Amino acid sequence: MAGRRAAVKAIDWIAFAERVPPNQKAQFTALKAKSDAIYSKYLSTPEKPAAINFAFYKSRLANPALVDEFEQKFNAVKVPEPADTYTAGLEEAQKKAQADVQKFIAESNARIKGYEEQAAIYNNMPPTELMTYDDVFAAFPEMKPDKEKYPIWPHKPIS
Amino acid sequence: MLSRLAARSAAVAAQHHHGARLCVAAPVRLFHCSEQHGRPIEPIPEEGGKVRMGVFPEEWFQFFYKKTGVTGPYVFGTGLLATLLSKEYLIINNEFIAGGIFVSFVVYIIRKFGPNVATYADKLRQERIDYIDNKKGRFIGACEEGIETEKKEQWRAEGVDYLFDAKKANVAMQLETAYRERLHEVSNAVKRRLDYQLDVENTQRRMAQEHMADWVVSNVVKSITPQQEKEAIAKCIEDLKRMAKAS
Repeated sequence: MAGRRAAVKAIDWIAFAERVPPNQKAQFTALKAKSDAIYSKYLSTPEKPAAINFAFYKSRLANPALVDEFEQKFNAVKVPEPADTYTAGLEEAQKKAQADVQKFIAESNARIKGYEEQAAIYNNMPPTELMTYDDVFAAFPEMKPDKEKYPIWPHKPIS
Repeated sequence: MLSRLAARSAAVAAQHHHGARLCVAAPVRLFHCSEQHGRPIEPIPEEGGKVRMGVFPEEWFQFFYKKTGVTGPYVFGTGLLATLLSKEYLIINNEFIAGGIFVSFVVYIIRKFGPNVATYADKLRQERIDYIDNKKGRFIGACEEGIETEKKEQWRAEGVDYLFDAKKANVAMQLETAYRERLHEVSNAVKRRLDYQLDVENTQRRMAQEHMADWVVSNVVKSITPQQEKEAIAKCIEDLKRMAKAS
């Protein structure tokens, strides 16, 4: 039975913690605590129980046939492995989450592009010292003097 | 500013009066506009050119040097002045003196208040430039920050596999632990039953031994007769006497 199962995959908790968004820290801590409890229980359970010394009992008990019967039946017992009903669900959830992540990344890239476009408007401006008033008013409409409210002479359009 | 406005309104007017243009030789490009180019307009020089004696541009002197040498401009200036005076193009009378006073007054005003006005104008300009630069900087900074945040969030989102790895590992560990516990349970159950058998046998043997010892003792006690008791006491007394004599 030894080596029957591949060693449980080790989790890099430090790298994991770095990637957890700040608003999910509490959930992460809970998961970590739970996992640690499971891991310590796993570690504290030896792989095989201590072997029963049947020879000792045979020498002591008046009825060795009884011991033999015990031994035979003990060796014949096949312990069933617990059924794994969760991994399949997890795989499915992982696939779904990965699809979600891909979607999020696509959206995020679109947002990044939007940011870059917005920044490009300002990055492509000439240096401020070299801008004409027309350029400035086109780029920063709030700097344009309000001729409606504060009209200047001759107070009517120049025809 | 006004010249640009005039130029633009002229352009609009030119579009409206297609047939009858005001200019005789209509220019292809508008007056006062530079040639069309994509690059920014070159800045206007902040300071004026170099002058001699306060008013005469250095370029004029350079122009004379090629033809006349270094004294040429001065000779020309003196000759010009002499001609103007001699031919009475320039008449020294009360108006000339008044004009001289007026010019010197203007120069005085400019010298006195010019620097302050220039500083104030520079301050206004600098305020506008700072406003624009600030706004540009803040906006670009916000965009860069946004990009940074998005990239970080992407990186974090890609860490979702860690979560599922951890969960799968937990499931695997729990299954393994449960399996091991079952093994332990089987083994413990067998061991407990064997121990029980052993205990039962031990207890039976101990009780049988105790019972046998009790039975032997009681039979022995029962088999002692009064005759034997009396003999034993007499023997004891005799022994005591012998021991007293010996000591």
